[in-house]
Amino acid sequence: MRVLIIDPDEARAALVAEGLATIQPLEVRRARGVESVEADLAGFAADVIVVACESPDRDTLEGLREATEVNPRPIVMFVDRSEPGLAQAAVEAGVAAYVVGGLSSDRVRSVLEVAMSRFTLMQRLRVDLAKARADLASRKTIERAKGLLMKERGLDEEAAYGILRKLAMDAGRPIAAVAVDLIAYAAVLKGGGQ
Amino acid sequence: MSLETTRLRLGFIPLSDAAPLIVAKQQGFFAAEGLDVDLVREASWANVRDRVAAGLLDGAHMLGPMAVAQALGIGSDPVAITVPLALNLNGSAITVSTAIADALRELDPEGMRRRPRTAAALGRLIERRRAKGLAPLTFAVVFPYSIHNYELRYWLAAAGIHADRDIRLTVVPPPRMVEKLAAGEIDGFCVGAPWNTWAVKQGLGEILLYASEWWGATPDKVFGLTRAWAERHPDTLRAALRALLRAGRWADAPENRGALATLLARPEHVGSPEDVVRMSLTGSPPLIQGDPVSDSHDYLVFHRYAASFPWRSHAIWFLTQMVRWGQAPRSADFAAAADVYRPDLYRAAAADIGDPSPEADFKTEGLHAAPWTLEDASSPIPMAADAFLDGAVFDPDAPLGYVDAFAVSRVAASR
Repeated sequence: MRVLIIDPDEARAALVAEGLATIQPLEVRRARGVESVEADLAGFAADVIVVACESPDRDTLEGLREATEVNPRPIVMFVDRSEPGLAQAAVEAGVAAYVVGGLSSDRVRSVLEVAMSRFTLMQRLRVDLAKARADLASRKTIERAKGLLMKERGLDEEAAYGILRKLAMDAGRPIAAVAVDLIAYAAVLKGGGQ
Repeated sequence: MSLETTRLRLGFIPLSDAAPLIVAKQQGFFAAEGLDVDLVREASWANVRDRVAAGLLDGAHMLGPMAVAQALGIGSDPVAITVPLALNLNGSAITVSTAIADALRELDPEGMRRRPRTAAALGRLIERRRAKGLAPLTFAVVFPYSIHNYELRYWLAAAGIHADRDIRLTVVPPPRMVEKLAAGEIDGFCVGAPWNTWAVKQGLGEILLYASEWWGATPDKVFGLTRAWAERHPDTLRAALRALLRAGRWADAPENRGALATLLARPEHVGSPEDVVRMSLTGSPPLIQGDPVSDSHDYLVFHRYAASFPWRSHAIWFLTQMVRWGQAPRSADFAAAADVYRPDLYRAAAADIGDPSPEADFKTEGLHAAPWTLEDASSPIPMAADAFLDGAVFDPDAPLGYVDAFAVSRVAASR
């Protein structure tokens, strides 16, 4: 089985390709965009095309159905009746797929399931990464605000943190948000915020 | 009336004709109806189709032909779609690279000065290239089931050019048209505003034909949703339609067109330079770099001329072109296509806000070469000319006869 993965996100495409390597026998090719798709389709003769939903190349693929003998059919046409929910789940996961030849429903399903799980995994990794970055940023901000209080008011670390925590509780806001305000106000008072 | 839900997720593609949705959200027309609407910018028409079908979007900015195709299961699984409102008339154009335009002018200087321009000169250029053994010219449209595909094919065919035989036709998303033209990957395209103007402004392309020169009042985008959603949320839908009607009226007012350009140009909406967006809203865009913007507000119409009315004859017309070009069989269900469009839902919402509605669901297209008045309405509605470039008349009661009358078609080629 030959699978073509079209995804502008190379890391995610690699993740999908790696997941598909468990399905045998299989040949996987990756492309960033549609520029090479027509050439790839002609030379590579993919059975299944997996496309990131965020890629605008989907419409070009739909156009190929009419213009060439390759005739890729969207997965929504292929699986919908026999397996309700699968196409919807794929769209939800951000994966579109096109079936080119007369592939069995089972094999399409296995490819699609791998792609979906890898897309979901990537999404989770991205969310985790963003959260970790935000956590780190807020921790740094709190450290700075604490440092300011210690310096300006001659407090020790624990007392400075206590003030921040009380401000946050009184305002009903996260400590990091209060810390951002405090740093901003300090800058204004020093004339640095102009 | 009580709203079944107040939260809606609506999809759109970055084009000026998404204006009614964007205006309804940003100018507070949705909010005034008690609706909290998320607008989601989508990357492809196929995504819009599939996400509406999967229930991830409640409704969307759609290509009229795409809505009909989806409802009939042409090109995707059948999903019952309802179109209670159209979003615009006109706004698309056919553009070629400046190199092709110059070649056409050399071949037929007289024809290139006439308006509307026919594809006759292009036919001669295609013949000449063929004789020299050159590769066929490549044109792009935005989706297989789009007015742009049928507009380009119709215009070419009227000059004897068969899009499947004489040129290469491909699909390119609207925001990418101009870069493909610049890269020489395509020689011309048919797309909606503001992308033709963008090509002209940069000196990369020349507009050969406005949609309105091909078909006086060209149907284009619609507001579509699943029939299941429409049936479960009748009052919410009616409220959304009132907001969209008011938004269309606002967007059509000449005094608002400048502000509309600013709003549409924003990166989260169309995301193209404001002066480019403005050129197809405050007038008709120049055909060629340096020409003035002509003084007309009919290049893109959102509300006047019953622009938002979902004419069932439009749905049937789209299906005639699908049959003409081999996308649908002759046995295609024209009555089912007509049923996708729901003028009854439109009339109820329009009556709520005192907007006049046409009384009939169908109209014969191509009868009026000049502006006219629709008397068969709750109050008379001024209408735009609706003639076709080749003078053909479309009678929605005889769709197959209409298809068979075309000299160039995939049907004719296989006879």
